Amino acid sequence: MIGPLLGTLLAGGLAALDATPVAQTLVSQPLVTAALLGLAWGDWPTALAVGTVLQILAASTLPIGARTPEEYSVGGVAGTGVALLLAAAAPFEHMRQAAALVGTLVGMTAATLHVPVVRWQRRQNEGLARWCEASLRAGNEAALTHAQWAAVAMAFALGVAACGAWLALAHSASAMIERESLRIAGVWHLLQPFWLGFGIAQLLHAFVQRRLERAGVFAAALVAAWLVIVAGAP
Amino acid sequence: MSRLRRATLFRIGLRANLLQATWNFERQQGLGWAFALAPALRALYPDRAERVDRLAEHTAYFNTQPTLASIALGAAARLEEERSQGLGGDAEGMARLKSVLGSTLAAVGDRLFWFTLRPFAAVLGVLLAMVNREPLMGAAAMWAMYAIPHLVLRFTGVGWGYREGPGILSGAFRVRLERAMRWIAVVGCALLGILLAWALAPAGEPRAIEVQSALAGGLGLGLLTAQRARPSPTRWALALGILALGLVLLRRGA
Repeated sequence: MIGPLLGTLLAGGLAALDATPVAQTLVSQPLVTAALLGLAWGDWPTALAVGTVLQILAASTLPIGARTPEEYSVGGVAGTGVALLLAAAAPFEHMRQAAALVGTLVGMTAATLHVPVVRWQRRQNEGLARWCEASLRAGNEAALTHAQWAAVAMAFALGVAACGAWLALAHSASAMIERESLRIAGVWHLLQPFWLGFGIAQLLHAFVQRRLERAGVFAAALVAAWLVIVAGAP
Repeated sequence: MSRLRRATLFRIGLRANLLQATWNFERQQGLGWAFALAPALRALYPDRAERVDRLAEHTAYFNTQPTLASIALGAAARLEEERSQGLGGDAEGMARLKSVLGSTLAAVGDRLFWFTLRPFAAVLGVLLAMVNREPLMGAAAMWAMYAIPHLVLRFTGVGWGYREGPGILSGAFRVRLERAMRWIAVVGCALLGILLAWALAPAGEPRAIEVQSALAGGLGLGLLTAQRARPSPTRWALALGILALGLVLLRRGA
């Protein structure tokens, strides 16, 4: 289990980098990190269950202007990592579902609680920027590169630390979750479709933008797809 | 004659990947902007004191959508080139260029990348993951759908901005972008319809009535809460999740 745990911590750091400081290619999005962690832990169903719900919610969370949105990069890794860690403890279907529910809740909580951390990080960057400008004025051309890499290292370390903290917390609560797993699994049975519907509605609102013809496209696709899926089933 | 070589423009594109590394509330992307532009300044200003002076000037406030920032970087490199050759351009002109391009590119880029392409890629990824019952293909499709245009624009945008200058956003290019955004949103609506149909009856097997009701309940509440920007969808989803879990766990003795 040490290998997947270390992989999860590394994924947390790399996701924190991709989210804003480096490249921004969507590698940090929950579905992508869930796929990678599912591969590392050898558990696709749990990774898929948590990854799809967190991804649907993350898609309607946008970094516009100076707004600091929920950090689903760290949230995605923490949530999926916690679910996989708990699911690995007991190989039963109800435990996997309980782990998925706890992982999804941890993912959303971690995404929300990481916002003040990111704000703190950005305030530290202000200090770096002031130091950099003063150094440049003093003739130190390399200050710019040093400031950039210092900020990258800080973001990576915070991502690793946050994921580590959530994994440790989940590990300490694993006995209680295992004990209540049957009832928690029952809640997952209803909450998963509820969250999926909730996220789909947010995205639908973003795409339709009060245009009737787009709502019509959605309705037509829903009916047609339902007929094809149901009629085409063996 | 042009003094900036292709390799220099490529290095600017490469460094644009760190545009937001030192993002802060004061200068926002200012430091990253100067870091990305440094290869051009190194090529244009052999005198160290002058180069450092220019670098410090570029650390001032700048913010835009990070993918399309490459276009602004290219246009700024062109203006710096003219400035270094004494063909016009000064600090005030550079500040004006950054301000105009920053806001214009943000207006186009935020809508294209954040409001349209990213949600579209997510819907495609989730749909493929649910249909395949494993997340790998969905994750790959989602990543490719967003990252390929993002990285292509990041690297080619510098040369584009360098050749065309600030005029790049006028006329046909903007019209094409608007049309692309409209079509992506329409296809996104269709994909959401398919996703919902699959969630109701995965692989043709309709799910239990209580599951379909929960999906419909989420959809209804989602449409209601989407009318307001605050609190965020995550807080709604989290609060309802904790409430449901809490109620079930509190009924322990019942």
